[in-house]
Amino acid sequence: MNKPFVTTSSSGVSSPSRTVTIVQASLHKRYRAEKRFRLLGLSAVICGLAFLAFMFVDIISKGYTAFLQTMVLVDIDVDPGEVHVGNLDQADYQGLVKKSLEKLFPEVTGRQEKRELYALVSSGAGTVVRQRVLEDTSMIGKTIALWVPANDDVDMVVKGHVERNLPESERRLGDRTLGWIEALESQGRITTRWNKTFFKSGDSREPELAGILGATAGSFYTILVTLVLSFPIGVAAALYLEEFAPKNRWTDLIEVNINNLAAVPSIVFGLLGLAVFLSFFGLPRSSPLVGGLVLTLMTLPTIIIAGRASLQAVPPSIRDAALSVGASRMQAVFHHVLPLALPGMLTGTIIGMGRALGETAPLLMVGMVAFIVDIPRGFTDPATVLPVQIYLWADSAERAFVEKTSAAILVLLAFLIAMNAAAVYLRNRFERRW
Amino acid sequence: MDAFVSAKSLKGPGKPTQGDRSVAGLENKSGMESQGLGGKTVGDVHVADPRMTCRHVNVFYGDKQAIRDVSIDIGRNEVLAMIGPSGCGKSTFLRCLNRMNDTIEGCRVTGTITLDGQDIYDPSLDVVLLRAQVGMVFQKPNPFPKSIYENVAYGPKIHGLAQSRDELDEIVETSLRKAGLWEEVKDRLQQSGTGLSGGQQQRLCIARAIAVNPEVILMDEPCSALDPIATGRIEDLIHELREQYSIVIVTHSMQQAARVSQRTAFFHMGDLIEVGPTDRIFTRPRHKLTEDYITGRFG
Amino acid sequence: MKRFFYAMTALCILAAAQAPVNASARDYIYIVGSSTVYPFSTTVAEQFGKAYGFKTPKVESTGTGGGFKLFCAGVGVEHPDISNASRAIKKSELETCAQNGVKEIVEVKIGFDGIVLANSKKAPVMQLSRKDIFMALASEIPDPKGGAGMVKNPFKTWKDVNPALPDVKIEVLGPPPTSGTRDAFLELAMEEGALEIASLKDLKKTDEKAFKKVAHSIREDGAWIDAGENDNLIVQKLLTNPNAVGVFGFSFLDQNTDKIQGAAVNGTTPTFETIAAQKYPLSRPLFFYVKKAHVGSIPGIPEFVKEFTEDKAWGPQGYLADKGLIPLPDAERASVRDAARAMKLLSMP
Repeated sequence: MNKPFVTTSSSGVSSPSRTVTIVQASLHKRYRAEKRFRLLGLSAVICGLAFLAFMFVDIISKGYTAFLQTMVLVDIDVDPGEVHVGNLDQADYQGLVKKSLEKLFPEVTGRQEKRELYALVSSGAGTVVRQRVLEDTSMIGKTIALWVPANDDVDMVVKGHVERNLPESERRLGDRTLGWIEALESQGRITTRWNKTFFKSGDSREPELAGILGATAGSFYTILVTLVLSFPIGVAAALYLEEFAPKNRWTDLIEVNINNLAAVPSIVFGLLGLAVFLSFFGLPRSSPLVGGLVLTLMTLPTIIIAGRASLQAVPPSIRDAALSVGASRMQAVFHHVLPLALPGMLTGTIIGMGRALGETAPLLMVGMVAFIVDIPRGFTDPATVLPVQIYLWADSAERAFVEKTSAAILVLLAFLIAMNAAAVYLRNRFERRW
Repeated sequence: MDAFVSAKSLKGPGKPTQGDRSVAGLENKSGMESQGLGGKTVGDVHVADPRMTCRHVNVFYGDKQAIRDVSIDIGRNEVLAMIGPSGCGKSTFLRCLNRMNDTIEGCRVTGTITLDGQDIYDPSLDVVLLRAQVGMVFQKPNPFPKSIYENVAYGPKIHGLAQSRDELDEIVETSLRKAGLWEEVKDRLQQSGTGLSGGQQQRLCIARAIAVNPEVILMDEPCSALDPIATGRIEDLIHELREQYSIVIVTHSMQQAARVSQRTAFFHMGDLIEVGPTDRIFTRPRHKLTEDYITGRFG
Repeated sequence: MKRFFYAMTALCILAAAQAPVNASARDYIYIVGSSTVYPFSTTVAEQFGKAYGFKTPKVESTGTGGGFKLFCAGVGVEHPDISNASRAIKKSELETCAQNGVKEIVEVKIGFDGIVLANSKKAPVMQLSRKDIFMALASEIPDPKGGAGMVKNPFKTWKDVNPALPDVKIEVLGPPPTSGTRDAFLELAMEEGALEIASLKDLKKTDEKAFKKVAHSIREDGAWIDAGENDNLIVQKLLTNPNAVGVFGFSFLDQNTDKIQGAAVNGTTPTFETIAAQKYPLSRPLFFYVKKAHVGSIPGIPEFVKEFTEDKAWGPQGYLADKGLIPLPDAERASVRDAARAMKLLSMP
C-alpha cells in the first residue's frame, strides 16, 4: 500500500512537491503518445473504410445499370397465317418480331443488313410475344405494340457503356446499327426499364436474358442443407466436448484437429466431398444436397469453435446454481447453460453460413460450377450458387456480363448483410446479462 | 484486513453472550482434546444428535492437499460457522458436503461423510438425491437469468415435488415467504431474477435452495457481496431458518460468525484447528492460532 | 428460445420431405469439358432447351483434360454424355475410356478458336513472327551472339528480339499452365517458332524430348506473367498498361475491339475471316465427343447434336459465330454434320 511509486529523492524520502514536478514533466509526453496512437487507430479505420467505399462505389457504379434493361417498342402484326390455335406453343414468334422490324426500316434489303437489323432485339423477344399471345388469344389477327428486350450490344450502347463516336472499326456495332438505334430513339421506341428478367430467370448465354433466380434458389437449397446439418451437429459436438467429455489426451487431440480443420483451405473439403459423397455414396453430382454436405464439413469447425467459446463464456456460477438445487449435469446444461450460450452459437453459425454462402472452390469439385438454365426445384436437381454464377459471368466474353457480374455481387452482398444483421439481431434479442 | 477489532467487540448487538469472561486460560491449550478424532483439533468435534458427520476427510487437488484429516459433526437445527484466513480450505470443505467438488477436474476426496447415517460418497448414492437434501447458497448471488417464479420453481419442477400448478405456486410462495422476499416481489414474479438488488438476489437464491425442502443448507460467504443492511436481513433470515434446517456457513467476518452461529470451526492451512461453541471460541480460544486470528494478529 | 427450436425442427422436416427422390434417373443431358468450348456449348444448350422442349442440358466447365477424365469414367447416368475439348482426344484417354466400357464415341469437330496476342489500342499494332514470339518468351534460346549451345533468354525489349519491333519492355500477360489456352499457345506459337530456328529443328530430329522441353519452357524472369484464368482480367490490365501484350482466346478480342487490337502473326491479323480461312497461324480446332451408349437412355442427345450442327448455329452466319466461334469451311462442315448425325463412331485403339 505504501510502497513508493516514484523514484525517491537522494535523501531516500519522496517529497510530494518533487512527485508533482516529475509527473508534470512526463504528462505532456504521455498525452502526446496517446494522441499519436489515437490518430494511428483513426487513420487505420479510415483506410479500411476507404477501401470499402472504393469497392462499393466501383461495384455499384458498374452494376446498377444491370437492374435496368433497354427495351424496344415494336408493332407486332400477329398474323393468323403464322399463329393459330393449333401451333400456339411452337409458332415462329421471333419471325413476327423480325417482320415488325422490317416494317420499321423498310429500306433494309440485303441479307447481311437484315441480319444486323434482327440483331437489334434479343433472341428472347419472341418469348415475350408468345407470352402475350398465350395470355390473350384474341390478339391473333391484330397488331399489338409491345416492348421487347433489346440485344445486349444495343443495351450497352444505350446505357453508354460503349462510346458512340469512336471510329466504326473500333466498335462492335456498325454505323448502320447505330443509325437504327438513333432512329428508334428519336421515335421514342427505345427506353430503359426495371429489369425484371434479372430476378426472374436462370442463367443464359444472352446477357439480356440472364438472371439470378436459378443461382439464388441453388444457394437457398444449399445453405438450407448446410444449416440443417451443421447447426445441430456443431452444437452437439461443442456441448459434448465442453460439458461432458473427459479432459484427456484424446479430447486434446480432437480439439487440436478441430482448430486445424477450421484453417484447412476449402478446396480440400471439395475433394473430400468428391471422394465421399459422389464416388462412395453415389449422390447426384451438381446437386444442392452434395454442395450442402460439403459446406457442412467446411462450416462445422467454425460452429464448434464458436459454440465452445460461447459455452465457456457462461459463468460457472450458473452451472453451480443448477447443480446445487439437484439438477443433473444434463439438466444443468440444457436448462441453463445452453440457452445462455445459444446467442453466441447462433452468431457463430450465421457467420459460418455467410462464409458458406460466398464459397465457390469446394463446389467446383462436386460439379456445381456449371451452366444450368432451369431453376432447381429440389435438393437433388442440378444447381449452381450465387458466387459461382458471379465467377462464371466474370469469365464470359460478352461485355454486357460485366454489369451483370457487378449486379450479382450486389445481390450476394445484400444477402450477406441481411444474414449478418440477423446475427446481430438474434444476439441482441436473446442475449441475457447476469 | 477486516479483523482489526478486539475480541470484545465481536459480539453482535442484541445477541446475548455467556458473560464477559476474560481471556485467561489461554495457556491451557492441552485441555479437552477430542477423543482420538482429528488428533490435532482442539475442542469437541462431536454433537449429540448429528445430521452430518465427517471423519478423516482429506481433499486433494491433483498433488496438492487442500484439506488434511478433518473430522467434524453438524448438528440438527444448528448454525455452524466456518472461519479462517483466505485459502484455509473452508470453502473447499463446504463443497465436499454436497459433492460440488465433483465438478472440479482433478479433485479427490477421501474419508467418510455421512448424512443421516448414509455415506454420501457411496457409489450407490445418487448425487442428485444428495443435493436435493443438501442445498447451497453461493458467495455471489447467482439467480438464473429467468423470472423470479422460475428461479424458485426450478428445483421442485425437476424433482417433481409438485403435482399441480397450484401446488407449485404454493411452494414458490412459501419459499419466498421463508426467505423474507415475498412481500417485495409478489407483484412481479414474472420479472427477471437478475433485475433484483444484490440482497434480494441472495434471498432469492436462499428461497431457491429451500424450495426443494433440504435438510442442510450450505452457505459460502453469502453476504460478502452485500451491503450491511442486506447483510443484516440475511443474518436474521439465517436465524429463522435454523428452526427447520441445519446450516453451515463459511464467513470471513468474525462478527457475522459470532452473530449467527452456535458453533464455530476455525480452519488454517487445510487443518481444522479448533471447534467449539461460538461464545467460547471468541472469548476463550484454546489454540494459539485461533487466538491470533480472532484478535487480528494475522489473516 | 423454444420457438426457435420449433422452427429448426420444422426446417429439418421440410428438408427430410425433400430427400432424394430418385437419383438413378436423369432427364437432362450432362456435358463437361473445355472452358473454351463452354460458351458455345452453353449457347447451343440454351437454344436446344427452348426449341425442343427437353430440359436444358447441364454444362460443367472442367477443362479439356478434366472433362475426359469424367467422360471416360464409365457408362451410366452418373457419367457425362458429352465432353467438350479444345484439342482432339488423346490415345491414352481413349484407352482409359475403353477400359471403363466407353467404347462407342462420336467425335464432332465444331470449328476453330484463334489465340491472339493483343495490346491496347493506344499502342501501335505489333507485327510478330512465330520466331519472334519464341525468341521473346522462351526461357532458354540458342545464343543470339552466334555461340554454340543454349543461353538464358537475355532479351529485355521487343527491339532486342527483332529490330523492326518497338523499343518497349517485353511484358506478356498470359494464361497459367492449367489452362488449355496455354497448351495451345505452346504448341501453335512456341513450338512452331522454335522450328524456325535451324539448330532447334535439328534438335527435334535427334532428341524430340529435349526439343519439347526447350519449346515449352516459358520465361520466369518477369517477362511472362501468369494472369489467371480470367481473360477479362487480362483485357483490363492491357488497358492500363499500353506496353503489355495479352494472350487469350479470339472471342475476347472480338468483344473488345473498341479497346484492344490483335497483333499480326506471320503477317496475318487475327480476324474472323483469316481464322476461318485458316490463314491465321495460331488457331486450333474445337471438338465435342458424344457417348453413344447414352443415346436412347438419356433423352435428347441426337436432337442436341442436330441443333449444334445446324447452319443457324455453327454456320458462318449462325449464333455461335456471334459468340466468337470460327466456323469450319463449308465442305468440311457438311461432312462433319452428316457423320455426326449418323453417329459415326471414332475408331478405338
